[in-house]
Amino acid sequence: MIDGVSPHGHRYRRNLKVKNVLAYRNMKRSARDYLVYLLTMTIINALMYAFNSLIFQNGLREYFGMEGVMEVMIGLATVFIVLIAAWLIHYMVRFMLEKRSDEFGIYLLLGMKKKTVASLYMRENLLLGGISFLLGILFGILLQQVLAMVMFSMVRMEYHLKISFHLPTMLTTLLCYAGCYLLALFRCRRKFRKMNIKSLMNARRQNEEIKEKHEGARRVLFPISILFILMFWALFGRLGSTFQVMVFLVGLVLTIYLFYLGMSAWVICYVRRRGALVYQGQNLFLLRQFASKVRTMQFTMGTLTALFTLALLGASIALLFSDYENTVLEGKFPFDVQAYSNDIQYGFEDELRILRKNTEVSGHYIYHIYTDKENQVNTWMLTHLKVWGTMYCKGDGSPDAGKIKKMLEKDGVYYAYDTYMGISDYNYLRGMLGYAQAELGEGEYLVQVKPRLLEEMQGIGKDLKIRDAAGNGFLSCREVCGEPFSQDGHNGADYIVVVPDEVLRRMEPFYSELVADLAETAPLGLEDKLDDLRTVESSTSQWYQENDLRGGSDMIISSVLVNQVRDNLIPEMKYMLASLMIPLLYLGLVFVCVAVTVLSVQQLSDSAKYKANYDVLAKLGLGRAQIRRLIGRQLSAYYLCPAILAIVISGRMILLVSSRFVEATGVPAAPGVFFLRSICLFFGIYLVYFMVTYVCFLRNVQQDG
Amino acid sequence: MSDDIRVCDVEKYYGNASNVTKAVDRVTFRVGQGEFVGIMGASGSGKTTLLNMLATIDQVTSGHIYYGDTDITELSEEGLSEFRRKNLGFVFQEYNLLDTLTIEENIILALALQERKKQEIQETCSQVMELMGIADIREKFPYQVSGGQKQRCACARAMVNHPRLLLADEPTGALDSRSAQTLLETFTGLNQRMGATILMVTHDAFSASYCSRILFLKDGRIFHELVRGAKARNVFLQEILEVLSLTGGVNPDD
Repeated sequence: MIDGVSPHGHRYRRNLKVKNVLAYRNMKRSARDYLVYLLTMTIINALMYAFNSLIFQNGLREYFGMEGVMEVMIGLATVFIVLIAAWLIHYMVRFMLEKRSDEFGIYLLLGMKKKTVASLYMRENLLLGGISFLLGILFGILLQQVLAMVMFSMVRMEYHLKISFHLPTMLTTLLCYAGCYLLALFRCRRKFRKMNIKSLMNARRQNEEIKEKHEGARRVLFPISILFILMFWALFGRLGSTFQVMVFLVGLVLTIYLFYLGMSAWVICYVRRRGALVYQGQNLFLLRQFASKVRTMQFTMGTLTALFTLALLGASIALLFSDYENTVLEGKFPFDVQAYSNDIQYGFEDELRILRKNTEVSGHYIYHIYTDKENQVNTWMLTHLKVWGTMYCKGDGSPDAGKIKKMLEKDGVYYAYDTYMGISDYNYLRGMLGYAQAELGEGEYLVQVKPRLLEEMQGIGKDLKIRDAAGNGFLSCREVCGEPFSQDGHNGADYIVVVPDEVLRRMEPFYSELVADLAETAPLGLEDKLDDLRTVESSTSQWYQENDLRGGSDMIISSVLVNQVRDNLIPEMKYMLASLMIPLLYLGLVFVCVAVTVLSVQQLSDSAKYKANYDVLAKLGLGRAQIRRLIGRQLSAYYLCPAILAIVISGRMILLVSSRFVEATGVPAAPGVFFLRSICLFFGIYLVYFMVTYVCFLRNVQQDG
Repeated sequence: MSDDIRVCDVEKYYGNASNVTKAVDRVTFRVGQGEFVGIMGASGSGKTTLLNMLATIDQVTSGHIYYGDTDITELSEEGLSEFRRKNLGFVFQEYNLLDTLTIEENIILALALQERKKQEIQETCSQVMELMGIADIREKFPYQVSGGQKQRCACARAMVNHPRLLLADEPTGALDSRSAQTLLETFTGLNQRMGATILMVTHDAFSASYCSRILFLKDGRIFHELVRGAKARNVFLQEILEVLSLTGGVNPDD
């Protein structure tokens, strides 16, 4: 015994060293063979770190009164990401295990214990995970800066680069990542326990066997799946009850999975039937290769389709909000400051005092909105706008007075009475906004509406009967204008009827408004100071009722506020929208990366087998260029299959959601545009992975001639 | 000009400037149309290298290989692919069948790559499968049939386009003796009845005894040649064994 250490201790240490060296070498080989996987895990780690930083290092939180929104959303997204990353790790661990099963069989044959082999494999995987974690953190620190810069520029604030390492963010990322690994490796250990030498040695051979049974029956699933997708396209927008939606969603999930089983059977039957394509060039090889791969991967392909579908949905919704932010949001608050009061005597002295105390006011204007105590415009709106459908109509199409009355009195979308404004007030406000002056001839009126309603409301003039100043005749509609005019309750809700000033004499003031121009950017928190003047103790809905502020038909995103300070509100709303958009894009990015990684790894790990096939084809006379094209076709078919199915399925949902969104918010874009944009966004990533796979695949297949 | 295959002063070196291995050293021979030629030699003698150069899947360092008037050492990569497609058939020890295709489809693919018509493909395929005795396993995948059946399928695929030369590299290496015998009889049949020209690399004297002529390779050079002529196969086998005993036998690991 040397140095007081027992021979047993020496042997133990030597064994441990051998195992560590073996684990390290195997890990190095896995990192090389599964480089795409390593890269994806690094990217996921980097994304996790960067997005987790929004929970711990969110420099914007203090500026906005929406504490926790971003954090909760990122937290929710992280839960899904941990689950999906765990799936990827579990998939890869199992996949590598299968591919290397004969190697593990040899370890057992040499006398290693099952437990030892299992722990060796775990060690390798943990080493691989550790490397991707470290690389991910480094990349994540940079990504976090980019993300912070984007966020700050979104809310119009200056950001100073501050590259630093943040322990809580790192620990949270480590916790998430370790969670993924624990979930994934837990089941793997069980798999090892059940294995024996024979099954390990035979595992690869079993993979290569092509089992073709009941193809004729299975083939039927292909047209059935297509039929269901067609039905889904036709009926999705018309589903009424939750039950119907649930049935359709379950059907959709089944379709996604059964589609591949049906498709591979259909291709196999086509080849067996010796369809015309079989006899043309390399088609037979391609069809068989495709059918065999889809058959062995049918469940995985289904999962990948589901991931792509969710990613496309998430990205499209994020893009919808992003478009809203870029096109509509600025127009929502055209005045620097605007305030409302239901007190027609209110002079806004306190508001002006606060404004003057905190900033420089270059001009202000106080005016009244009037009403004739009638409801003809409100009724027209409720019975003609697409957003209300036939909700306020009777069976014969005429207005349902009872429902309209109840709506105006209780639900509070429109004011209880029609809203009017005099032409001189109107032109003064237009002047403040830099618009051209409007003109009204004698006996004319005009209707100012929200930009999104301009087209829909062109016909309103022929239905309204607005009495002239004397009350004897009727005014005629000169035009309908649709510039942004602060019509979320301030200058009317959705609309304001602009009449000659003398017509106002027969009406009565309805509520008071203040608009102000500021000489400089409003300071942070100015709106809060204005709000503090009229402390709100009751709930929001009660408060609206009491104050009678009505926002109009805006849905999804509405901003019905007594005081509006544009420079405070736009960043705040952008921050709120970012809280939705960023987690959705985060999820989409990770889902797509995970899905394409599985596709790439599947192809690349089989490239040794494919190399033998392509060598045979070369001997049969195919040139290098022909083989390159063949590989391109093979990979394209394989990559496009889940993507196309996902596009078809998500397309219907996205088109429906985006058309409703466009209708409700007035984003000036065709609904299909968002879908196309999200496809482009994800197919950029898709293309990168495809190209990497194609190049590596070619290199593997064509090396050594 | 004859349709013979001529190998003229062919050399093949491997390695780099500091360590050159001469695999084939100024080899010259001719294979007549309709001949069944065997190449034998010890491990490292260069027989597979020579076959690969004839097969256009390896390039000569110097020298020329003529198929009739065509010097394949002068052809471009694409030209070689086309040449291979139109003129050569291959049978290898590992069968080289595509595992995702059935036995019949492996043969169909070889025909489809020649851009034949559907009708012609179907007829030729059926004929060749009958000839090779694999018609009853046409719908099976390679993993479902025996080694002998796989090799007959490879043979059918190689012959289906009537190549100018059938190249066989240890075709019986993975077969049991009965399957090997069946395959060699098939080769003889193809050679005698259909006039196929066959060049076979083998380490097995029994397999070589089916050839009409045998070239013995040693250190990359042809050191002996045996012609069967009108001799019975067992007499020819005896002669082969005698040559091998003089050279110390062959190592099958080549």
